Amino acid sequence: MLKIENLTATVGEGEDAKTILNGLSLAVPAGEVHAIMGPNGAGKSTLSYVLTGREGYAVTGGTATLDGADLLSMEPEARAAKGMFLSFQYPVEIPGVPVMTFVRTAMNAQRKARGEAEISAPDFIKKSREIAKVLSLDPEMLKRPVNVGFSGGEKKRLEIYQMMMLEPRFMVLDETDSGLDIDALRTVAEGVNALRAPSRGMLVITHYQRLLDYIKPDKVHVLAKGRIIKTGGPELAHRLEAEGYDGVLAEAV
Amino acid sequence: MSAALKDLIRNPTVAELELVARFAALKADPRRERLFEAFAQTGLPGRRVEGWRWTDFKTAVTSMEAPKSAPPRDPLAREGVATLRFTPSGYAAPSALPEGLRLLVKDDVQAMGGAEAAPLGALAAALSGGKTPGTLLVDVSAGAPVHLHMVFEGPGALNAARVVFLLRPGAELQVTESHLGGAALSTALIEFTLNKNARLHRTVYQIGGASEAQAVTAIIEQDAGAESLQTTLAFGAKVARLETRLVHRETGSKATLNAAYLAGAGLQADITTHVRHGAPSCVTRQLTKGAVLDGGRGVFQGKFHVPRTTGQQTDASMQHNALLLEEGAEVFAKPELEILADDVQCAHGNTSGALDAAQLFYLRQRGIPLVQARAILTEAFIAQALEGAGGMEEALRAEATAWLTHAA
Repeated sequence: MLKIENLTATVGEGEDAKTILNGLSLAVPAGEVHAIMGPNGAGKSTLSYVLTGREGYAVTGGTATLDGADLLSMEPEARAAKGMFLSFQYPVEIPGVPVMTFVRTAMNAQRKARGEAEISAPDFIKKSREIAKVLSLDPEMLKRPVNVGFSGGEKKRLEIYQMMMLEPRFMVLDETDSGLDIDALRTVAEGVNALRAPSRGMLVITHYQRLLDYIKPDKVHVLAKGRIIKTGGPELAHRLEAEGYDGVLAEAV
Repeated sequence: MSAALKDLIRNPTVAELELVARFAALKADPRRERLFEAFAQTGLPGRRVEGWRWTDFKTAVTSMEAPKSAPPRDPLAREGVATLRFTPSGYAAPSALPEGLRLLVKDDVQAMGGAEAAPLGALAAALSGGKTPGTLLVDVSAGAPVHLHMVFEGPGALNAARVVFLLRPGAELQVTESHLGGAALSTALIEFTLNKNARLHRTVYQIGGASEAQAVTAIIEQDAGAESLQTTLAFGAKVARLETRLVHRETGSKATLNAAYLAGAGLQADITTHVRHGAPSCVTRQLTKGAVLDGGRGVFQGKFHVPRTTGQQTDASMQHNALLLEEGAEVFAKPELEILADDVQCAHGNTSGALDAAQLFYLRQRGIPLVQARAILTEAFIAQALEGAGGMEEALRAEATAWLTHAA
């Protein structure tokens, strides 16, 4: 499904350009959930931005494909229509644009790009109501401008709300657990797990093993200095939690 | 043309000579002469005139040839609302006006206070009425709120119009104005006197072509407890100046002056305001938002004058925020607070910049194409400036949205 080969990327321009991804290779088959763990500055967020096409990052080598399609040559909106979804580490505030309006615009833009019919207003509202219930979101919140005045936890839940509404094919969750208390974490994980399907893939980026107790990964990768240095099963996450990154990093060299 | 008349304007341009000729052809009237002289001090104002550095009518009005452009539609027109129509050939008024409104046509020209400070307003006053010179007065008496619509449109060379409103104590008027251009030079002077506790709700829509010059000058004087709420949406023209000069002349008067401007390639929109706090405990709220494309120009000039003797307990705020949507967009801003009183609350803010890259990426990551993402963010950015337009807000927003989706 998602295939990344020997990806290198820099951030910054000219002499200030700094290599963040340095020959990263990774494959997430359909139906699987993979976790990426790693110390600060390993390139975790850069990977999520390079995959979704944020400006300011230059890909200097390698490939990234989703179902065989070259992601790196597409505009961000085309990647989204293809099914790429990023749950932001720091969701952005959009003053003046209500959540429902925003999500419906996004949904219809994606459908249009895929040559599908728009969703009807009653269908949209019904779907939104159901998902808000699963995530224990106050329906009033969905009438307010996107993320404006929301708490950290509300913002993260709103990311998952958007993900469930848009039903992407591949999801990247960038530190979705940061800023969540244990109850919110459980709610968010329920939403994420509801989206697990044989046709979907997921990349869960996190610092801590805690989130992986709720979203059970098929594989765990350790990212350091811009490349995957170790891959294992869920037990690898537990080992990292117990021993810290130092042991694993030393072993890999 | 007499030598004296010709010499009124120093080094006149072709267009200015044409204006002198038009003035000379009108019935002699000492007040008209006084108004034209006030205009002639600067002629068509341009770069060298204080307050006109960025909005150069002298250079822009190259001739008085009627432009050939399809008339734009009027988004503020409403079925059943009394409408005054001003064109280069004169004005047309409905035979029956709603209760509370009285239309008076004065044969002689009425004086205009501060004519020198508003040269294009003075020009409108001096040349208004065309072949039927005079001044149009609208008397508004207390009672149920009344709505009057005014349209200023071509085709023609010069559209000069003047209307004087008197809002009697406690009167409430909603006035909507569509300045649709269609003339080489359109200049409108609209004066409002708000007596005690009168309320004015004014909505201004301006659109013009890339070969047209437009000026809308409003002079507002407010007595005790009077309240005005003004909302403007301007798309600019080759040059377009929307100027409001407001005086709080008695205690407890309130004014809200909101405006949004959207200037595309080859177009300029200028929002200029001058507010004098001539009495204590008056309130002014001003919010101007703008968005400009490559080759477009936005101008904001706001001045609050709060004298030491009369301006105590003034509560005033001025905010201007501009978006430069593309490289090559220009915005000039000059906020000016002249506050001599010491017991006042005055705030101001002025920003200009590009759309936020993080916001744009967030929208695009969700699948919204770049052009649409820009339009959504820009509309959200200017929306607050149109919120006060009440029943007209939706119509103004629809025009802004259409512009953003097609132009941006």
